[in-house]
Amino acid sequence: MPQDRLSSVFFALADPTRRGILARLSEGDAAVNELAEPYDMSVAAVSKHLKVLATAGLVSQSRQSQWRPRHLEAGPLQEVVDWLEDYRRFWERSLDGLSEHLQTLQQPPDRKKRSRSRRASTKKEGIKP
Amino acid sequence: MTASIDVSTPDRPVIVITRDFDAPRDLVWKVITDPKHVAVWYGGPGFTNPVCEMDLRPGGTWHHVMQAPDGTRYTINSVFEEIVEPERLIWRTIKDPDRNPPPPTSLNTVTLEIRGQQTRWKLVSLFDSMIDRDLTAKMGFGQMIGLGTDRIAAHLTSLQGVKSRG
Repeated sequence: MPQDRLSSVFFALADPTRRGILARLSEGDAAVNELAEPYDMSVAAVSKHLKVLATAGLVSQSRQSQWRPRHLEAGPLQEVVDWLEDYRRFWERSLDGLSEHLQTLQQPPDRKKRSRSRRASTKKEGIKP
Repeated sequence: MTASIDVSTPDRPVIVITRDFDAPRDLVWKVITDPKHVAVWYGGPGFTNPVCEMDLRPGGTWHHVMQAPDGTRYTINSVFEEIVEPERLIWRTIKDPDRNPPPPTSLNTVTLEIRGQQTRWKLVSLFDSMIDRDLTAKMGFGQMIGLGTDRIAAHLTSLQGVKSRG
């Protein structure tokens, strides 16, 4: 199992059966035998998948009831979404910087000279040497 | 074109970001492989890069320190895996033990494609926790981006619906 939480959520989500279990749980709590129904696999095999999901913090289990329904924990999913959004933003920002830098490099020589004037240098403020 | 996350890859869930630049490919290659240039744009406006050392050869390291506008510094160390000038650059990020939790490491491939007067920059990021597993299905990450948790759950339902009908 991956050690950090984000990796363990990635790992948990990487399997179609486990995504199916999460999808089922998104409709309401369910016990292991109910979760196993749509699949051609044993309750034990489904239990293994549930263990992976529980380790990732995606599924919790009520201790009160005898049939112990499983419950979807959406928090870790949000963490993945947040992290991916950060990753996207980082590159979006970097590519804005890259685009601006390419424009500066491609300015004709006479415009480069002018870029030292106040008007042009204000525009390029974001660039640090 | 803005960056987009695309998971419509047939076999593996990866994050794909593309952008078209109004510049010749050789120039784009230069600014993404020459540390003097990388230090200018990496992180984007407001970010600085006090350290950017690139040993551009397979197995060579890329040692990088990025500073956010609030002064926070981020160390990013990578190893280059493949360099095919001027069209393909592959590097792998190394786990940073000083950050808790450490960000997932990734294998990153940038390809540069000539598109008329433009150059298409395309990044494919594959995260280790994905690489390690034998993945065959899409994770639906692209659709998950920006969605609330409830809608993620609904999306998982729809993914499953597609599967069971197929």
